[in-house]
Amino acid sequence: MRRSLPFELFRYAMIALALALTLIPILWMASMAFKPIAEWSASGADLTWWPKAPTLDNFRYIFGEQTTALIATLDRTATKPILASLLAAVFGTLIAMSAGTAAAYGLSRFGSGQNLPLALTQLRLFPPMAVMIPVMIMWAFLGLIDSWWGLALIYGIVTLPFAFWLMKTFFDEMPKEIEEAALVEGCSRFRVFMKITLPMMRAPLASSAMFVFILNWSDYLIGLLLTTKEWVTIPVYMASLSSSMTGQLYGAKAALGLIAAIPPVILGIAIQKHLVRGLTFGALKQ
Amino acid sequence: MPPSGTRTVATDREERRLGFRLTLPTQVLILFIAVFPLLMQLYISLTDWSPLEGTGWWRAYELWNGFANYTDLLGDSRLWGALWRTFVVMLVCVPAEFLLGLGLAVLFMDDFPGKRVFYSILLMPMMVVPAVAGYMFFMLFQSGGPVNGILSGLTGLDVTIAWLSDPTLALVAVMIADIWQWTPLMFLILLAGLVGVPEDQLKAATLLGASWGQRFVTIMLPRIRTVLIIALAIRVIESFKIFDTLYIMTGGGPGVATETISVYIYKVTTQDLIWGYVAAIALVILIALSVLTVLAMKRMAAAGGRA
Amino acid sequence: MTTIRLENLVKSFGSFTALKTMDLEIGNGEFVALLGPSGCGKSTTMNMIAGMEAPTSGRILFDGRDMAGVPMGKRGVGFVFQNYAIFTHMTVRQNLAYGPKARGWPKAKVDAAVAKIADFLQLTPMLDQKSAKLSVNILQRLAIGRSAIVEPAIFLLDEPLSNVDAAFRAVMRTELKHLQREFRQTMVYVTHDQLEAMTMADRIAVMDHGVLQQVGTPIEVYNDPVNLFVARFIGAPGMNLVEGTLAETDRGLAVDLGAFGLSPPLPAALAGAARTAGAKEVVYGFRPEEVTLRTEGPGLRAAVGFVERIGARTIVHFGAADRALKIVAEPSTAVSVGETLSIEPVAASVRLFDKASGRAIKGAA
Repeated sequence: MRRSLPFELFRYAMIALALALTLIPILWMASMAFKPIAEWSASGADLTWWPKAPTLDNFRYIFGEQTTALIATLDRTATKPILASLLAAVFGTLIAMSAGTAAAYGLSRFGSGQNLPLALTQLRLFPPMAVMIPVMIMWAFLGLIDSWWGLALIYGIVTLPFAFWLMKTFFDEMPKEIEEAALVEGCSRFRVFMKITLPMMRAPLASSAMFVFILNWSDYLIGLLLTTKEWVTIPVYMASLSSSMTGQLYGAKAALGLIAAIPPVILGIAIQKHLVRGLTFGALKQ
Repeated sequence: MPPSGTRTVATDREERRLGFRLTLPTQVLILFIAVFPLLMQLYISLTDWSPLEGTGWWRAYELWNGFANYTDLLGDSRLWGALWRTFVVMLVCVPAEFLLGLGLAVLFMDDFPGKRVFYSILLMPMMVVPAVAGYMFFMLFQSGGPVNGILSGLTGLDVTIAWLSDPTLALVAVMIADIWQWTPLMFLILLAGLVGVPEDQLKAATLLGASWGQRFVTIMLPRIRTVLIIALAIRVIESFKIFDTLYIMTGGGPGVATETISVYIYKVTTQDLIWGYVAAIALVILIALSVLTVLAMKRMAAAGGRA
Repeated sequence: MTTIRLENLVKSFGSFTALKTMDLEIGNGEFVALLGPSGCGKSTTMNMIAGMEAPTSGRILFDGRDMAGVPMGKRGVGFVFQNYAIFTHMTVRQNLAYGPKARGWPKAKVDAAVAKIADFLQLTPMLDQKSAKLSVNILQRLAIGRSAIVEPAIFLLDEPLSNVDAAFRAVMRTELKHLQREFRQTMVYVTHDQLEAMTMADRIAVMDHGVLQQVGTPIEVYNDPVNLFVARFIGAPGMNLVEGTLAETDRGLAVDLGAFGLSPPLPAALAGAARTAGAKEVVYGFRPEEVTLRTEGPGLRAAVGFVERIGARTIVHFGAADRALKIVAEPSTAVSVGETLSIEPVAASVRLFDKASGRAIKGAA
């Protein structure tokens, strides 16, 4: 459809505004991450948009290097929280994807587990806060508090609905003829699933796994409740980056925030075309 | 599926068995996270148990208090306040996100130079870890921070609003952060809906003399009705859970000015440690949400059947 | 009711030219088919008439009025889409009332118009049904009715039958032609199916590669194709076209058709034209229906390849791939595979084309 020039101008103006509003918070954090202490601790008129003397001091600091500029030393570096977030998110994704893919296939092909769609939808809707009491009790009982594997288990369960729904829509779309051909040749149903179906679904599996990883990586509340010291995750650790002496360590927090923000943004852009499907539980496939 | 004539009892049984095995892990996990904990939660909610008791939760019956927790919560003004604030956030943020998202989606309906790049950039906020987003806005809303900096630049005055320590402004700041982060989700879903509106129908309507506004109301909106409901439902549910961003920005404060239901439960869980009471609150919320969900899904299924 | 004139119409998309200098005049109340294979520019032409696309150059005139800059909603064009583009979320009544309402007619006038058109198109019984589940012929009537209700100057139809089952197409064709007669509307009909064009149109505009090849009544286009493309495209099976060289014989000018032997002498007018044209390399054409088939006698000699017996007629295939001939014969014709026969085209139906240019060589009629 043809559009008029005034419309085009209006469109670009609006988009420019939206882009500015979108980017300012992100760029502000990025800018803070590269500012030396004198710049990030400034306020009001002394605060600049861009670092005047860009430095990697903030990154060095959170990884435990002493920098002269910062008086306070960290009792813990960011290395282990990053590892904790990574391990919990990766293994949580593994749990969600294994269980979710198998169940999605079972339902999509054999109609097993008719209760799953509703049960998993409800699971997705529940505020985690509302089931945390029993989870904390159970995790304490199982010795899973403050461990990345304990986090991985709960992450796996919380994101299972997403893995299930994503894979279910992919399986529903996959033509059955190829599997049937293999069946006619005498393969067992399970062999067909393992040797034919899964390899064919590599791309959807990868997209779904990335989607689930983003969700796991984004957690804050569960990490806050289930970890205490050893295996705190990045956001939990981030809150501790302040001291009575210096107050908020803006630069250090910004540096860590930048590290935490980058993986999901990259993955998110990579799986852009499946985002809608994942978010709407396959009700919309775009 | 092969024609029924070629199906044998053996393959049927094989498939049923395999289907059962494939769905088993998920079923077990659901039982593990839903059924057992819910029963535990119900049990604890009928007692005065607290982790400070030093006795295991299974011995909570020693502190049996019947439905006292449930009657207590009816008179808990802090709980009702938190619930009210949660609804305020929902009632402001969801419509704002919806309208902004819809507006953007309309701008992105047809092709124009730069579309793909702009699209990717506009989606970024929803991919930022919410806790990190919370921290971003925490920085932005400092009294000596850039938001005041921009306002100073625009007004020519020296603006030093203490956003996060003012009860009203703190709530505003928290809502701005939420709108920043989740407008992209609305945009994404609504755009997916709008590009699915059949081009031919839009052209047909144009040829029949319909203006853009008429096409929007008579063709586009009805066509994306389901999408619209889904997008709104997702955001309503998510905004009810609002915690990460808000908690990092204000911790629910100043006072209880930004204390939403999740923040309230979190605080009671970790500070007051009256878990029997928390269990009661959580259970009531879960039941309310479940009922709403089932109703909504039924309505949606019915609407889907008609569309 | 309107006459449409296309003047030097050109449409390019970047470096690709979809339509090259199209000139066409469509008379008041005429039913014109734009016929051609996909990518020939017929849809582009129609979209420009409707105002969905702007011409790169040239003019479109409705009753002498230049349509440049007139938006598509204001042209008074009724458009029937390939899939009908019915508003499936509305009832039949809402679909019909859409145009009048968009134009802000008063309610009484809308209701009267809907009632009238519904009655005319026999849509009254389903007025309050959702239009999603209607059968395809009702959809077609509804699509036409929805456009017709605002009394457009012209109707454009974009391959409306291409999604219809082959078996049902004949019924739809009849109905469409009938409707056109009733409406006495100027209609432009885009199709790639020559049968649809032949059966319904008053005139056919044959297009290929963005170039208008020939405009004429179905019978003109069928009998006197101006070039090889039209000759091949019109008719099922298409015209037999055999490359050959002009040769003088003692009985007059004939064409040496190589393996098929010498053609019967050309009719005098055609021979004269061929001499005047001075062409040597020609393409000899004749309709499969217009031949005499004999065991012995004058004509092209060829061996029967295979025989298709399809009830009302029999199609006899001769020769090999690039030098194949098809003959339509009586169902009872007794021929056997491998048998060599004589094919004598009816003299008056023989056509000659210049091999180099592809253009028809025409005798003075």
